Amino acid sequence: MPRVGLEVRAVSATKRVTPGLGHPPTGEVTKLVDVSVCIGCKACEAACKEWNDLPPNPDRPFTGSYQTLPDLDYNFWQLIKFNEVERDGRLVWALTKFQCMHCEDPGCLRACPAPGAIVQYANGIVDFVQENCIGCQFCVTGCPFDVPRISPTTGKVYKCTLCSDRVAVGLEPACVKACPTNAISFGTRPKMLAEAGERVQRLKADGYPNAAVYNPPGVGGTHVIYVVPFGNEPELYGLPKNPRVTFVNLWKGPLKWLGNTVLFGGILGAVLHYFRFGPREVNGRGTEASHQERVQ
Amino acid sequence: MEQRRERDGVVLRYTMGERVVHWVVALSFLYLLLTGLALFYPPFYWLAGLLGGGPVIRYWHPIVGLVFFGALVVMLLLWARDMRLERYDREWLRHMVDYAAGREEVVPPSGRFNAGQKFLFYLQFLAGILLLLSGVVLWFPLSFGRLVREASFVVHDLAAIAAMGALILHIYMGVFVIRGSWEAITRGTVSRRWAEAHHGLWLRQLRAAGSRSHE
Repeated sequence: MPRVGLEVRAVSATKRVTPGLGHPPTGEVTKLVDVSVCIGCKACEAACKEWNDLPPNPDRPFTGSYQTLPDLDYNFWQLIKFNEVERDGRLVWALTKFQCMHCEDPGCLRACPAPGAIVQYANGIVDFVQENCIGCQFCVTGCPFDVPRISPTTGKVYKCTLCSDRVAVGLEPACVKACPTNAISFGTRPKMLAEAGERVQRLKADGYPNAAVYNPPGVGGTHVIYVVPFGNEPELYGLPKNPRVTFVNLWKGPLKWLGNTVLFGGILGAVLHYFRFGPREVNGRGTEASHQERVQ
Repeated sequence: MEQRRERDGVVLRYTMGERVVHWVVALSFLYLLLTGLALFYPPFYWLAGLLGGGPVIRYWHPIVGLVFFGALVVMLLLWARDMRLERYDREWLRHMVDYAAGREEVVPPSGRFNAGQKFLFYLQFLAGILLLLSGVVLWFPLSFGRLVREASFVVHDLAAIAAMGALILHIYMGVFVIRGSWEAITRGTVSRRWAEAHHGLWLRQLRAAGSRSHE
């Protein structure tokens, strides 16, 4: 079967989904990032660029930080965020591998107006199909994590694919393969969630009572999850506390129906009004007009 | 101000310039509405195919939006005086039901535009401002904060829905109900009887101005 690992679950701007593909034999996949053992070597950044054939960013601004770039870009899909803060009188160097979170309820896909431009595979990976992308960047606003970026040359939006092409043929994502400290692991969802739980327990035993798994429920959970020592402060790692997809719901719900009502109700109202009251003719025929003139 | 001519029972209602501006506003708005519907709501996405495809309409929608707003501003400048709300507009509004039911003979006479047209214009202009402001955010989302972006989506949609409703009413009244309006906005002229029936005060003002200029 040519599409193992790429079974489709949801497609942007489309009610129905390609039929007959069912669930992948592997079930849902998840990438686990344990920031407590990340050493900030950026091997994952390099591996991502290499595997995905992304050109370097030569004119990158120097910000005085170890961070490669200030933010993600259309050709820079994952980034180690270097954040220095103090906690309990000690330096905490929060290194966070940041990329698309592959939400279970993806705001980008819901906001996307172009049929087939965003696809959610049955294994949980959310992928952009540039061929169908129209460059509207609704996904940029729909994404609660601020991940998608538009390319000024192609006018299309790009982001981490979770190496869907590698996963489809049974390989782990490039960043996972490159990580020298096992800060990144990849596997089936139940296994990764169990692994994350174990790591959190170890951190708690090591003196991080607030250690937690970051798997935000506001977006239905994510297929990239984190183990974070300061679980009560996800902002420390550049992760939003409670990401949600609120405005897209407003837009695709009440606003859609308001628009429908005004459009079709307005047309229907006009037709009925015309049937009942008809047009208003004051010009009459030419003779009538001249008659009016004489009366005056 | 150009003197409006009235000759052989024919009155000039819209000058060439006013007609051109109206149609720039009208056609650009029509394009914005059709492409906007395609972007707003996937069941209308076929309109995108009709108009050159998704990337094409995404490219032109904001640019045509600027044209629309620019023409709308020119329109406001052209008609600012005629769009001022007057005392008799209150009377007209009291008879709105009569007007809607076609009993125009009991509706007090109106100026160049009746109160309904004035409010429709202001509604469109307000919607135009909101669409422009929120549209710039949607155009360059990465230059704005999350809250501004999300609010802009809601504002853009609400303003567009209001403008669409107003447009349906406007087209219905102008094309189907008030016979003679189409000629007025395309060829520029109406009959004297038309002016008397729909905009009595305007005709009187024209005549007063005309006789003054003849003195």
